[in-house]
Amino acid sequence: MNIGTIGHVDHGKTTLTAAITKVLSERGGAKFTDYAEIDKAPEEKARGITINSSHVEYETDNRHYGHIDCPGHADYIKNMITGAAQMDGGIIVVSATDGQMPQTREHLLLARQIGVKKLVVFINKVDVITDPEMLELVDMEMRDLLTTYNFDGENTPVIMGSALSALEGKNPEIGVDKINELVKACDEWLDLPPRDLEKPFILSIEDVFTVPGRGTVVVGRAERGVCRKGDEVEILGYGTKLKTTLTGIEMFHKELERAEAGDNMGALLRGIKKEQIRRGQVIIAPGSMKSVKKFQAQLYILTKDEGGRYTPFMQHYRPQLFLRTADITIGLSWPEGTADADDKMVMPGDNVEMVCSPVHDVALEPGMRFTLREGGKTVGTGIVTKVLEYV
Amino acid sequence: MDEGGRKQELKRRQEDFAVSANQFEARSLETFDASATTMFKTRAATFLPSFRLYSTSQPTKPSIKLVAELRKLTEVSLSKAREALVASNNDVDAALKWLQEDLEVSGAKKAAKLEGRTTNEGLIGMSVLSSGVGSRTGRGSGGVRAAMVELNCETDFVARNDLFGKLLADIAHTAAYISEPADSVNLLKPCSLELLQEAPLLSQNGEQAETQSTVASAIRELVTKVGEKISLRRAATVVQDPLPRELGLRVASYSHGSVNIPSQGRIGALALIALKSPKLAELLASEPFREELIKLERSLARQIVGFSTTTIQSAAGATDEGALYQQPFMMYPDSNGDSVQATIRRWAEERGLREAGEVESGLEVLEFAKWTVGEPLESS
Ligand SMILES: Nc1nc2c(ncn2[C@@H]2O[C@H](COP(=O)(O)OP(=O)(O)OP(=O)(O)O)[C@@H](O)[C@H]2O)c(=O)[nH]1
Ligand SMILES: [Mg+2]
Repeated sequence: MNIGTIGHVDHGKTTLTAAITKVLSERGGAKFTDYAEIDKAPEEKARGITINSSHVEYETDNRHYGHIDCPGHADYIKNMITGAAQMDGGIIVVSATDGQMPQTREHLLLARQIGVKKLVVFINKVDVITDPEMLELVDMEMRDLLTTYNFDGENTPVIMGSALSALEGKNPEIGVDKINELVKACDEWLDLPPRDLEKPFILSIEDVFTVPGRGTVVVGRAERGVCRKGDEVEILGYGTKLKTTLTGIEMFHKELERAEAGDNMGALLRGIKKEQIRRGQVIIAPGSMKSVKKFQAQLYILTKDEGGRYTPFMQHYRPQLFLRTADITIGLSWPEGTADADDKMVMPGDNVEMVCSPVHDVALEPGMRFTLREGGKTVGTGIVTKVLEYV
Repeated sequence: MDEGGRKQELKRRQEDFAVSANQFEARSLETFDASATTMFKTRAATFLPSFRLYSTSQPTKPSIKLVAELRKLTEVSLSKAREALVASNNDVDAALKWLQEDLEVSGAKKAAKLEGRTTNEGLIGMSVLSSGVGSRTGRGSGGVRAAMVELNCETDFVARNDLFGKLLADIAHTAAYISEPADSVNLLKPCSLELLQEAPLLSQNGEQAETQSTVASAIRELVTKVGEKISLRRAATVVQDPLPRELGLRVASYSHGSVNIPSQGRIGALALIALKSPKLAELLASEPFREELIKLERSLARQIVGFSTTTIQSAAGATDEGALYQQPFMMYPDSNGDSVQATIRRWAEERGLREAGEVESGLEVLEFAKWTVGEPLESS
């Protein structure tokens, strides 16, 4: 899973990241990445979009972590939306000498905005604190603030230690021991994102054929989950909602009993005519998803240098929504209550939250990513934040 | 003018404006002003007595409760709150005073420590005190008085924080207040940062701070709270007294990408628009005309920001994407795909500001400034 360190400049995010890799490397779970290496990570390029956060990986007894040292510049939201730097959980680093700062609120808001549900708090620099009561205050204030921003302030693990001591191999009781404690807290408190195979089945339909003597076969990729021959399934999207049975599964011209996430498969459907099926619909485990007419999404609009638009747009702009194999015209508008909605413009490079109304219904859920295209080029990417209207 | 004289002059000008400021606030910010003041007062009233209660119980060690309260009230760091309480023997009133005095010293120290850091984040803030001819706010006499300011910090998190936005709003407000009419060809001129730093900070919502903080000391105060380097990067102002009857100036502004305060964003533009017509006074008396004028101005400011606008008019014969007048006026709903120039000409004719074919009167964009947060500055 992916986690990140968030916190005020100088509170020790980079030191902590280096300390984690050091402590875990001694257990054989990581390659020690020195402070200087983390701080000097080269700009990476992913999908033509620049990301500027350094990335390290390590393993605990139970898990594999990708770890981002979250930077302070405004690109982080774009990185989250585009998926270039995803975060499933976070470590919020607070220096015990300062306590939480005014901008700690913005750190928590960001975490919420990018869908992080649980955080672990690391109170750093306890090596320079003489009055233990003050640590209690930092703890109390952090829990209050977490609760204010809809995190579970009461139960969030708060670890107090010194990243620097851990990195320098000094005072193990506040150094290495606390890093171990922190890692354990991450393992126990942060939820793993469910693995693709454990999620309900979805196949996005790419094409449909009639095979004489056998019936209608749809071709597509299993996005997640598992299906078996004989399963009840549902077909959703573009005004369709049908129940049927999966009477056969084929891959590479072989009949199979089972297919799973990642497989490109052919599915034979009982009693369905070719005309009832079209590209962009999905085959799902019955009831596992609903088709949506209107939703809200975080959008990142590509700059001209990223191959996007040259000019701004206003609401009622109608690009194409590409979500899995679906290609649907959508209207974009500002959420209800937005001031000056009619002359509020969106410029290339903006991160915005907008209401999306596709002309056909489409099966989706919060967290799903998509792209927006216009005239054959990608002009934006997005992530569904909220469903506003089901069919 | 010598140092002392300049300060005196500044103070005098500030007092001058205070009168008109009150009128201005009374009109447009009535509700906000009132609620903000009452909020402040009730907060002080509920907190202060409780401080005194605690203050006798633990004379030597700083009381944790008081540290918490002091932090809630001032948002200073934990160690600073402790220091203040130790120095003032756990008396919160005294600690508040101590903090106020200490800010000068520790703020400067902290700022010096952060000197080498880079500040590429932040916001552009706008303050329009009087939008020009036909306006019903400000001094009401139709002059122009506005400012645009860029304030930088190290992270986007701080830029999004309320304290930062409020400080920027106050600085922009101050810049607009203290500036004098331009004596150069350009009406839109850079505002001396030195002068601005020394100016007493004027609160944009009228609630005068009790302390006499300057722009510089208010910045240092925020530095101690957020622990980041904060720098005042640039400021520009436009101040012009009303012109003869058939001439009028207007200022249009737009900021893009605002978080909390609509007049602040990552990109900002101020544009000066001139109106000239023998019928000007008569036209401006009409409410619909004024409304349409404002709509056109908003579109012009958006056009400047939304497109890569660098100049107003391209050299004859040249095609220049950056020339405002030659761009298709996409930000104006009724442009029918025409250029900015053609659209504003038509606008002026249709509204009787200008006779068809005549060149002496009409509406023109005179100057504009467009800033993006953190962009490299042209060396001047
Ligand atoms: N005393 C003490 N100092 C620490 C500790 N952890 C980090 N520091 C120091 O705090 C300073 C900042 O640490 P960094 O790790 O660079 O902080 P950061 O949060 O990554 O800062 P930015 O990358 O600038 O946002 C460095 O001088 C560290 O040596 C600690 O546990 N105790
Ligand atoms: Mg760092």
